[in-house]
Amino acid sequence: MKYKLIIICLFTLINTAFSQDNYDVDLIPGTLKNRANSCIRNEEILVDMRSPENVLLTVKKAITVFNENGEDEARLVLNYDKNTSIKTIKGEVYNAVGKPISKFTQNDFSDVSAADGFSLFIDSRVKHYLPNLNQYPYTIVYNYEIRNKQNLIIPRWIPKPGDDISVEKSSYTFICKPTDEVRIKTVNYAMEPEVSTDEKQKKMVWKTSNILAVKSEPFSPNPKTYRTSIQIAPKQFTYSNHKGSYQNWEELGKWVYDDLIKQRNTLPPATITMVKDLVNDEKTDKEKARKIYQYLQDKTRYISVQIGIGGLQPIAASEVDRLGYGDCKALVNYMQSMLKAVDIESYYCVVEAGSEKISLDPQFADMAQGNHIILCLPLKSDTTWLECTHQQIPFGFLGDFTDDRLVFACTPEGGKMLRTPKLSAQNNLQIRKVNLSLNDDGTALGNMQTVFSGSQYYNHESNIEKSITEQQKALKIWYNLDYIDFKNITYLKDKTDNPKIIEDVKVNIRQYAPVENNKMYLQLNAFNISRNIPEIKVRKLPVYINRGYTDEDTITYSIPENVLTASILPMNKSLESDFGSYESKVTVEDRKIIYHRKIKINDGTYPAEKYSSFAKFMTDVNTADNLKLILNLKK
Amino acid sequence: MKKRILFLLLFSAYMPVFAQNFNFGAITYDDYEFDRNKLDSNANAIVLKEFGTARIDIDDATGRLELIFDYHVKIKIYNKEGFENANVVVPLYKDDSREEIINDLTASTFNYTDGKFVATPMDKKAIFFENRSKYTKLLKFTLPNLKEGSIIEYSYRLKSPNLFNFKTWEFQWKIPKVLSEYLVYIPGIYNYNVSLRGYQKLSDQKVELAKECLRINGANIDCSKITYLMKDIPAFIEEDNMTAPSNFKSAIFFELSDVTNPSGGKTSYTKTWKDVDYELSSDKSFGSQIKRKDIYKDIIPSIIKDAPDDLIKAKAILNFIKKQIKWDNYYGIYCAENIKKSFDNRSGNVADLNLNLIAALSAANLDAEAVILSTRENGTINKLYPVISDFNYVVAKLNIGDKSYLLDATEPLLPFGLLPLRCMNDQGRVINLKKPSYWIDLKASQKTVTNYILNGKLTNEGKIAGTLTTIYQGYAAFAKRKEIKRYTSTDEFVEKLDERLVKIKISDPVISNLDSVENPLTEKYEIEFTMNDGISKNEFYLSPFFINAISKNPFNLNIRTYPVDLGAASDERIIINIELPAKYNLVEKPKNLAIGLPNGGGKYLLQTQLDNNTLSLSQILQFNNAVYQPDEYPFLKEFYSKIIQNQKVEYLLRKGE
Repeated sequence: MKYKLIIICLFTLINTAFSQDNYDVDLIPGTLKNRANSCIRNEEILVDMRSPENVLLTVKKAITVFNENGEDEARLVLNYDKNTSIKTIKGEVYNAVGKPISKFTQNDFSDVSAADGFSLFIDSRVKHYLPNLNQYPYTIVYNYEIRNKQNLIIPRWIPKPGDDISVEKSSYTFICKPTDEVRIKTVNYAMEPEVSTDEKQKKMVWKTSNILAVKSEPFSPNPKTYRTSIQIAPKQFTYSNHKGSYQNWEELGKWVYDDLIKQRNTLPPATITMVKDLVNDEKTDKEKARKIYQYLQDKTRYISVQIGIGGLQPIAASEVDRLGYGDCKALVNYMQSMLKAVDIESYYCVVEAGSEKISLDPQFADMAQGNHIILCLPLKSDTTWLECTHQQIPFGFLGDFTDDRLVFACTPEGGKMLRTPKLSAQNNLQIRKVNLSLNDDGTALGNMQTVFSGSQYYNHESNIEKSITEQQKALKIWYNLDYIDFKNITYLKDKTDNPKIIEDVKVNIRQYAPVENNKMYLQLNAFNISRNIPEIKVRKLPVYINRGYTDEDTITYSIPENVLTASILPMNKSLESDFGSYESKVTVEDRKIIYHRKIKINDGTYPAEKYSSFAKFMTDVNTADNLKLILNLKK
Repeated sequence: MKKRILFLLLFSAYMPVFAQNFNFGAITYDDYEFDRNKLDSNANAIVLKEFGTARIDIDDATGRLELIFDYHVKIKIYNKEGFENANVVVPLYKDDSREEIINDLTASTFNYTDGKFVATPMDKKAIFFENRSKYTKLLKFTLPNLKEGSIIEYSYRLKSPNLFNFKTWEFQWKIPKVLSEYLVYIPGIYNYNVSLRGYQKLSDQKVELAKECLRINGANIDCSKITYLMKDIPAFIEEDNMTAPSNFKSAIFFELSDVTNPSGGKTSYTKTWKDVDYELSSDKSFGSQIKRKDIYKDIIPSIIKDAPDDLIKAKAILNFIKKQIKWDNYYGIYCAENIKKSFDNRSGNVADLNLNLIAALSAANLDAEAVILSTRENGTINKLYPVISDFNYVVAKLNIGDKSYLLDATEPLLPFGLLPLRCMNDQGRVINLKKPSYWIDLKASQKTVTNYILNGKLTNEGKIAGTLTTIYQGYAAFAKRKEIKRYTSTDEFVEKLDERLVKIKISDPVISNLDSVENPLTEKYEIEFTMNDGISKNEFYLSPFFINAISKNPFNLNIRTYPVDLGAASDERIIINIELPAKYNLVEKPKNLAIGLPNGGGKYLLQTQLDNNTLSLSQILQFNNAVYQPDEYPFLKEFYSKIIQNQKVEYLLRKGE
């Protein structure tokens, strides 16, 4: 009798656990359906930091997928490795009216390597699951539990991960001991968390609801700046047998230096002697560093091996010395060790690399930020930065991969925030000079020189080492004109402090300016037509231009004898806006038509209401770029 | 004692056989100084020598037969772009019970320093295995101490339980090769079909007898010792608009045909289509599934109850399958499990969907057969003899009277009778459970058709306002439907379109037949855009090519090596009528054109005129073939060039009196 009771009790318990949520799609408010491909009905994330080496993550999430485009949100992807183990996963799928149609468990997941395509080896793996349904809408509900054996990086909360997702309800709970000290980074969360503390634990809860899906807008700032997020960093931490504590960048930098790098910079005596000999004749530290950097570029290549302590610690300098390859950490550490051999100080710097400039947060130190390592040489009044994974990059040049952002230098004295140099619109140049002579049938023949510098240094850099046939192919894509052909392709690299690449080619464009009706039809801007940007009626986000640039094109057309120049009117166009400036000019000198065009785009953040004037500016530029001359010929 | 002698004999018999390989580490100055201009001045790296041996032997531990493949290569690296050849990936097969293993992996980098060659052997730590998927494991390694000018060399032994495909040898790589030699020992009891694919020819081929090369159950078996040799092999460079690179890359493929048993009897693996027909008809993942009409016995009557004829019945059934089962993006000619399971789970691979379809059609007493084929990216199929592993896709063929239709349930947005573009690859084999199989051509049943019609007016302000109607059929309709479906609603699609077309205002959108895939898709908008800055002047220019203007030549290469494959024939028509605000004379205009490709491969027609104050343009651009040969490439290039030049010309209009 007693048994029976218990069973009944249990049964009702389970019943209520499953029936409390109703996933009928009709219950979603209309506003949350607008522009949404999926809707997060309810998400509950619980992070329970029982001890530094035992952090439990429990997630319950219900997502309604409205159509095929929202399907990716139904995909559950879980990474695991030696430090992260998946304890349980289970879930159910519901149809439009909220009736359960199937269940899934860990067995239904595919298990694949997390290989990223460029790593030689990576020791983390991925489990993923996607219910393959063709009946929309449907709702997928899943529960999983993950155990982290470290607390250096705590799972964060981003309740709305995409523009086309709406959120009905989401919450984030963090539990730790009342004595644990943690720092919390709160972005776009207006309220205070609910905090409850007893002698056993301290509990903090963040909640949000009814966030609408929005339209994606071009030229918008990094989503991290306008979406809600919570990131937690405990003071005392454990990571793969390393223990430490930090509350700011200074302390974190000290730990990285002392625990991860310091003991990795020993070089074999022979290499130390070799490096010393190498720089014997050089007077300044900068020249010495340049020599060593050249040696590094000749000797090593970038190979990514993500193994061991979560990809945080470099392999020893002596290993790189022997093998001639390594990942960004290993190569920076190797370069640093060689510099140390000749008493040049340098800093191992963590950076968030990528074309979009993302700074590390100076107010909030944690290891979840940054994805790349570069080296900083604090030379007197001449701080020099080195990218160590690239064999062709000029000394002291970062390009657009790590420019103009805050990075975190790990020095023996502790961490420091430093800013990498900015490549400004005035310095990001593409200067093109073209001389074309037009034949009677409109065929254009001549030469073209383009100088690329600043962030535009890389525009055609990839072409330099290619074979001639591949160079031809690439040029035909960049200068995509009918029947264009290139000869005498040469590239010159100027690797001085302001590096440049000079491209020189002979061009032949058959019947570029065709003749018909006793007229010659000539499009003046042959090689650099700016594209329109979309017009947006109601702009919500600020306008963000990541990087500025300046392009200048001068094309001199020598025209055949039978062209009547008298009918050509000087045509000048000049446009000014907050976002940049544009000018184009046509002049006639003897038998020459000279076309000059200059566009400058300024980087920066502009108010949302300025978007329409930006779009108009770009449209006007496009119209001016498409200017065509119709030349009268002698009869 | 006797045993020992035999062993010795065997041993000595082996010796000369394997001596043809070159010695590891014997780098010569000629290797180091090899002038790439002799072969390919563009090469970043060149294979100097490559040697492989494959044979079948008994695994002492298990007593099972296995394939032993010895591989050895020496590569000269010229520059940093060539470094990627030092990152090596060897895919290995595995399943629950068997796997391929690698032994004796040796690799070294050789650099010429201070007048001598210095070898840096690869560390065992630089070798990694990665479990890529259920059936693939990757061996990855990278060579140390690499410099411009280095020579790298590596060799390994691969043991495989898979005898069926023996071991494919790829003569052609992304980098050129000076010499590539492959030596195979095929025991007399094994009979393989061997095929050489690609554009390159063998430099030499030699067949010899290797006596007693395999010993099974005490019996000595002789082998055919075949050497395949290719010299001066150019690099393989992929081009746009081509089907699978494997169709063009030179390589040798094997497929087991039969094995003679010790008893003298033969086990046939792949021999004739008759055998294949029989095997497929009785295969539990193929023929047996097609026969499962019973699943549909109860459902079919309600699906076809209002259908007056067979064609309408078939359409109803195809629609039902498309709605019932979703494609999981996997290919295959065999069901993952069985058709009932995919029917219940509402998800399945290509075979699950289309064998369900065939079973359902048969249940309605319609004449349906299976067609197995190879998709475009999978490559062409061997027509000389059946190679079942060449096929990776199955569709249904429905016969009604003297008409037949090819049906596929994977793409809900395709109309009845039109296969996805991926299936348009040469020929497919029709498998009928009762009759012998036969080949049929796989050609798109509909062309890619787009028609644009613009009727409008030119205003005094220089604006053109009018109605633009676009009608899509065939693959054009499919692509457009997919594009529109990427948005949450058609309103959002139109909103984005309007934003993108910054110079054109769009209003009153009407999109019809978006979901009724059997009918042409129609898009209709009121549009308005500025042509010029007003027409107050006495004369003005106006370009009539504002719909889908052609300004770029898609065939801009100087040389084309491989065929251009566009997938399907296409037809694009544009009709424009613009009413002028007053009387004008057409002083100049683009030439009326009528040009064509050789052998009726395609045509372009353009006619423009001014008639009763209405400017009109009519343009037809047609490509009648799906595939154009490399020697037709210059004609395609010239064809487009003529169109582009003509489209640069404008109308000149002058006010009439």
